[in-house]
Formats: sequence, C-alpha cells, structure tokens
Amino acid sequence: MDYDSQVRQRFLSAHRAGPLNDGASGLVSGEAEDRTLNVWVRFQLRMLHGAIHTVRYNVYGCPHTVAAAEWTAERLEGRPAGALDELSMRKCLETLGIPVEKLGKLLLLEDALAACRRRLDEHKG
Amino acid sequence: MQPGEIYLDYAATTPVDQRVIEAMTECLGLEGDSANPSSSHPPGQRARARVEKARAQIAQRVGASPETIRFTSGATESDNLALLGAMAANKHRGRHLITSRLEHKAVLDTAGALQSRGCTVSFVDHDDDGVISPDAVEACIRDDTVLVSIMHVNNETGVVQDIAAIGKRCHQRGVLFHADAAQSTGKVPLKLDDWPVDLASLTAHKTYGPMGIGAIYIRKGVNVQPLIHGGEQEGGLRPGTLATHQIVGFGEALELADPDQEGAQLAERRDRLWNGLSAIEGVRLNGHPTQRSPHVLNVTFPGVQAESLQLAVSEMAVSTGSACNSDIPEPSYVLSAMGLSDALAAATLRFSVGRFTTEAEIDHVAERMRAEVARLRALARGAPNWTAE
Repeated sequence: MDYDSQVRQRFLSAHRAGPLNDGASGLVSGEAEDRTLNVWVRFQLRMLHGAIHTVRYNVYGCPHTVAAAEWTAERLEGRPAGALDELSMRKCLETLGIPVEKLGKLLLLEDALAACRRRLDEHKG
Repeated sequence: MQPGEIYLDYAATTPVDQRVIEAMTECLGLEGDSANPSSSHPPGQRARARVEKARAQIAQRVGASPETIRFTSGATESDNLALLGAMAANKHRGRHLITSRLEHKAVLDTAGALQSRGCTVSFVDHDDDGVISPDAVEACIRDDTVLVSIMHVNNETGVVQDIAAIGKRCHQRGVLFHADAAQSTGKVPLKLDDWPVDLASLTAHKTYGPMGIGAIYIRKGVNVQPLIHGGEQEGGLRPGTLATHQIVGFGEALELADPDQEGAQLAERRDRLWNGLSAIEGVRLNGHPTQRSPHVLNVTFPGVQAESLQLAVSEMAVSTGSACNSDIPEPSYVLSAMGLSDALAAATLRFSVGRFTTEAEIDHVAERMRAEVARLRALARGAPNWTAE
C-alpha cells in the first residue's frame, strides 16, 4: 500500500503516543473499539483551566489509524474542551490523504473523543 | 533493490540472475538468435535450437523428458490450461474436480469458472499445519472425478505436500493429478516422470528467471484441450510465437538451480531468521514445522498489525500475504482456512529468503523486527487481546 508522507511521518514518529500519569489531576480518558475493524484507541487528556493541555493516546490499528490518532492529538492540544466535538475525521482523511475505505476505522477515534467529552461532563456535574 | 533495502520476498518473485540476463541478451538484437524459432531459415533454426536446449534444461531439472514440457506465459496460465484443458478433454469421464482451499487463486478461481460451467468441485480437508493427507484426497474421489489439483509448495506458508503419495492414490482410482509446482521448481527436487503426476505448472520468475514465461508438464498420453487457437506451436496446445529470449532465460535459470545444495543454504538462512524472530514473545510459526520448503517463513506477531509492522520496517521487502493479494487489506484466505482468526491472520508476515540473502541481512532483519514489534506493542498497550487463541 502506498502511504502519504504525512501518514508515514506521523506513524513513524508517534510523538504523543503513550499514557499520561494516571495520578495527575484533571485527567480524562475515553476509548473505543471495533473488533470487526481490528481497531482499538484510547485518548487521555489533561485539562488545565478549561482547556486541553496535553493529549496522549494508545492505539491498535493500521498505519492510517495510528497517524490519525497522532494528528488528532496534535490538533487538540491547547484548544478549549469544545474542540472535542468539532474535530472531524473527514478533515483528517483529506489532510493526511487517507483512503476513504479507512473512514470507518477513523470514526472510532471520534467515538473515543466523544467518550472523553462524556467523562469531562461527568466531572463537571 | 536500492541501497539499504533488504529483499525478503523471494516467494513473490526473484531477481533475474545476471547469468540468465546474459543468456537472454544473446537472443535479442540483430546479432543475436532473435529470429522466429518457427521459421525454416538458418537464423530461425538457430533460435529453435536455443528453445529446444532450454526445454531440455527445464526437463532435466524437473525430472521429465523434454517432450512433456510445453511453454506458457507462467504458472497461472499453466494452472488454467491444466484444469480447464484436462476437464474439457476428459468430460466423458465425468465433471468432478477435487482441490483444496489452500491453493493459489490461479487454481481456485479456475475451479470457480469450472463450477459456473456445470462442473462440481470438492475441497479436500487439511490439518491445522496445512498438510493434506492422501487419505483425505482419496475420500473425496467419486466415480465421476476427473482431476485432483493440489499444490506442491504453498506460496504463503511454504508447507510441502506429499504429491507423490497423493498422486499415487489418484492413479489407483483412475483419476488425473495436477500439481502446481510454481514455488517448488528449482528449490525442492522434482521427479515428475517418476512420480504419479500427470500435469504440473512451472514458472521461471520464482527461480531467478524472467517474468512472463512458464511451462506445463503433461505426461505422455494425458489429453488436454488447448485454451487458445491460432497455430501449431507447442503441438497446437499453446499457439503463438515462442518468446525465445524468455524461454532461454527459463532454461538457464533452471540449469543454474541446485535444489539439493541451494536448498540446504536457504534452509540455513530461514532457520537463522526464525531463531532471531522466536525471541519475540508470543510469536508463532504457521504451517508444518518440518514438512516445509527451505525458503518461506510465515510468522504471526500477536499484538501488532502486520500492515503497521510492514510500514515500520519498510526498508525490508516482506509480504503481508501472497503478492497477488497484497493490495487488498484483508486476512489471508490460506491462513483463515488453516484456522487462524482474522486478528491473527492480520498480524502475520511472510518472509522468503533467496540466493542473494546474506547472514548479515538476516541478523539485521531479526533485530529490527524485535525492536519494531516492541514499539508497536507499546503503542497498543491497554488494547484488548484479540490475537489470543
């Protein structure tokens, strides 16, 4: 398979991969999985003053899914919590040159972000 | 290959040996033996002599007499000719074909075409190691069975089938036997005239010859109908101008092949690689542990996806499936048929060593694989264990 250089670079570097310190305050996490798609992803966010300060992820998936997780983490850091609802995997698909056949896998990342959002709302409540 | 790249996909195709290139070059250009080998003038007869020499070289290597060898475009065409041609020529005997789910697409899709034309196809069972027993084949034989087609060496797992024993059962029941020998030619000793094999598919490009040329072995007395028409070449079985340079390359490639000596060297490289990979926790070898060809290693790395592993080590040419299927990101049907789950099949790479593989390359590959599997497993830490059995 031919991979876009943006996918290749993010897959190989995966700078933001790995867990955040579980003991830290202001931490929320959310995950999603689909066995038939062979994808599992977990995002961990450290919130600071209502904004997303740090994002880390773990992911089991194809190179496109890993690259999309890295891209997502890049986009979220420094943004307000509302960014969790706004990030579009279709935009990710276009930006990274990912084949549309992989959209189903990428949508699991949106599900994981939605789970993060729910945790965040629970903490507020 | 470009500098820094390591080629470990010899089961997909092999680079053409320089000595083969030189022999082929002698048949190109005005100064070469480039005339039509069917022409009666001296240049044509010189080209014909080169073709017949190559036929003899190939026959010698596969343990056959030259008149049993007919040139084709490759093993896929030979498989088509064997199945379609033999079923058509022997339809008075019945319309039943036996094959296995482990075969190459060239056989499976041709079997599908026969089904659409009214033939029935039975798929013989295999064990968890991908081995087909002669008993299982015999159990499938019916009164209307015409042909059994079982590959010699599996292109994905390297498992070697005992085609002599399977063929014997077929002959005892009066059934024709075809063996796809594309992966075994030049790597595993073949004795086609001595074995109870009626038809065999051969190819050049998996044994350091050129792409686009192959052959079919047809035992004397076995009837096969041609698939195409338009001339008397190859006894009318496969008409069309003979490609002298490719045929000469095929012959030279098999002349150079030494299944006994080179096979032992390949097995050493393969085992060295397996020793290096087996240090990875949970890694598993697919296919029979000893009944295997010397050049193929099919390995599952639980907890990582082969597509990701392949990109992580993209300086190495390894395969996530057979080359014919690699563009399709779906689990190998061969591994699925052997009982691997989709997740395990998607965590599997095929390594195939060859004449130009060095020990240093093997050691480097093993080291890189260990490092990248560890990196990808760390990336997936916390994931459900879908690759558990």
